[in-house]
Parts: sequence; structure tokens; C-alpha cells
Amino acid sequence: MQTRTIRAWTWVHKWSSLVSTIFLLMLCVTGLPLVFTHEIDEVLLSQQWEPANPAGPRLNLDQVLEVALSRHPGEVAAFMSFDEDRPVVNVTSVDPNGQAGVFNFQPIDQTSGEAAPLVAGHPVMEFLLQLHTDMFLGLPGMLFLGAMGLLLVTALVSGVVLYAPFMRRLPFGTVRANKAARTRWLDYHNLLGVVALAWLLVVGVTGVVNTLATPVIAYWKNTALSELTAAYDVPVAAGERAPLDAAVKSAQDALPGMTLQFVAFPGSSYSTDHHYAVFFHGDTPLTTHMTTPALIDARTGELSAVAPMPWYVKTLSLSQPLHFGDYGGLGLKILWALLDIATIVILVSGLYLWLAKRKKT
Amino acid sequence: MSRKDLTLRAIFAAPLSLFVLSMIGLVGALLGDGLWDWLGSALLASTMVVLAWVLVTRRRR
Repeated sequence: MQTRTIRAWTWVHKWSSLVSTIFLLMLCVTGLPLVFTHEIDEVLLSQQWEPANPAGPRLNLDQVLEVALSRHPGEVAAFMSFDEDRPVVNVTSVDPNGQAGVFNFQPIDQTSGEAAPLVAGHPVMEFLLQLHTDMFLGLPGMLFLGAMGLLLVTALVSGVVLYAPFMRRLPFGTVRANKAARTRWLDYHNLLGVVALAWLLVVGVTGVVNTLATPVIAYWKNTALSELTAAYDVPVAAGERAPLDAAVKSAQDALPGMTLQFVAFPGSSYSTDHHYAVFFHGDTPLTTHMTTPALIDARTGELSAVAPMPWYVKTLSLSQPLHFGDYGGLGLKILWALLDIATIVILVSGLYLWLAKRKKT
Repeated sequence: MSRKDLTLRAIFAAPLSLFVLSMIGLVGALLGDGLWDWLGSALLASTMVVLAWVLVTRRRR
């Protein structure tokens, strides 16, 4: 490789890293406990809860909805989701005249209509997640972190290119521990970077994809979803809606063998103004991460369409497990943590190498 | 390039093998279940095994 080429790649590597390092460090430090969110929440928030009548009949979905909305008069339902390990239906409602983005989330015991305890994250984990996702800055913060992720990918690619000239006299894995600190840390930096490369690329790229969740869902709603609603022009009023329970049943008939995940009510962000969107996920390792909505005409309660997600929503769905590392058991999570720590060492040693070089010149 | 320089193939043989093993592990654990979860983790763990091997045996004193 020519000296000029090496210089150019060095410049790319230096600046893509320098700009993003502090944010990537924050992401690594917050991401480390987040890998074990499920385990930590279970320890910190373990509470025994039994449904009121475990063997008794269950309220149907319209009854659950009525109970939930009676506790928040004036609000309308936005979403309904279903716990997998307890007979609990969660109703999310919103005040149509209130502040945007303010929701009420109510877990309801389907055997009694009583409120069930909230299964939320521990406040500390929620704080870390928010910091990790958008630094409390909403969509701009999310997209900014996505840009930092792109810089990470740039740094990885340039790092691999530079690996060749740096290693042209050194067999793989050489650590010159007897040399000056700068040489030693250069070897560690190169070694860790190239060993963790595949994981770093996967977690980096899927992290960037995840930051695009909001625009991707908005795009899906405005294109694929809105094509299905051309027939109506006036939103369906709450009083004109067909029963929810029957609507969900017709959706289940349309997608046999799939698991009910949540319902988006007409006018909410995952549906149209005219449909109940009933979302299902599959039961194979791959399809369990992907949702398929059945759109039920909210006026008639009949199936309008099964609308398989377009490729970009599927990409988003698969990017989540690949980023979180929560799809292969505890062993995979431990590896996620170790590789996260390796990344911290890469970032800090990179910063050190830059500082040491500056001092020298 | 002097004669002592390693070829690109020699430089990238080990990193590329690790890259491929890790990728198969990462994707395999996602597409498969049960055995694949273990196999996927084991393949990704190759990175840590190599790292441990290097730190124990490859440091020049």
C-alpha cells in the first residue's frame, strides 16, 4: 500500500473514531448492564402475583376495554397487548385532547377486571435504556446516535484496511509486551479490534437500523398501510365500532397458528383511522421476532386484509435481537458482555494511542 | 515490499476465519433453536478463546 493511501485511511480512522468515541463509550457502558435487563429486573422487581380467579372464566376483550376506559373517563384506547405468562391484558389509552405522547398503561387481570401489578423495568434500567436509546433527546437524539453508529462502521472498515500495513511483519496475535507502552497498546488495539470485528459490525449496523425505527414505522403507515384505507374518508367514531372480541377472533381465523401480540385501535400510530390492526407473531425462532398485522374493518368487524410487513419493517424487526443479544440464551448474553468490555478497551486504547502520538510530535 | 513482508492472505487468514465463525454463530443462533443456540454461542466464543490463547502464549517478553 502506498504511503499516501495509508495516510488517507489513517485520517479516516482517526476522525471517525475521535468524533464518536465519547458517545460509543457511553453506549458501551450503558449497554453492558442492559444486556442483562431481563435478569436484573427479575431480581430487583420479583413480586409474586396470582390472578384473582386462575381457573375462572375470563372477561372478553370488550369487557376488559370497558373496565380500563371507565378508570380514565374521556380517554380513548390506543393499544391492547397480551402478557404471555399471565392472564393479563394491557390497555394503553390516551386523552384525545391532551398532550401528544402521554399515554396511560393499565395491566388488567383478565379473570377479574382488577388492576394487575405493572411489569415495568427497574427505574435505573429504564434510565440507562433511555440514555442508550436517545440520551433523553427524543428522535433527534436517536438519529444522532445512529450517525455515531455510522462513524463506528467507518472506523471499523478503515481499521481493517490499516490492519494490513501495521501487521505486515507481525504474525497474527503478536503482542510486543517488551516494547514501549504505545507499541504494546497498538498491538492490543489491533488484536481486539480484528477479533471482535464481526460482532462489532453486527451490533453497530443493527444499532443504526434501530435508530431509524420511528421514521420506518411512519413510512410504513403512510404508504403500505394507507393504500388499504382508500375506501373511507371519515374516521370511524368510537360508537360505530364493531365489537373488539369478534374482530380479534376473525383476525385469528385469518392467521391460524400464530400468536396474538397486540391490537392497535383505529387512529393510533400502528393502525389506520378505519381498522383494528391485530398483530401476530410466528413461533419459529426467526418468525417470533416478526409481526404480521391483520386489518379488521372497525365498522363491520370483518377482515379487510392480511398485510405482511414490507422488507424494511422486517429488517427492523430482525435488527432488534441482533443488537440486544437476547436470542440465544445466557451464554450468548455473557459473550455480548465480554465483547462489550473488549470494545471499551478498544475505544480507550485508541484514544490513548492518539494522545500519546500527539504528545510525541 | 521487502521479502520479509507477510502476504495479505497470511495477514488476514486468522481474522477472516474468526469473522466467518462469529457470523455463522450470530446468525445461526437467530435462525435456529435449542442446539443452535449453543452452537451459535460456541462459535462466537471462538473470539474469546483466541483472545485468551493470544494473551497467554503470544506475548513477547
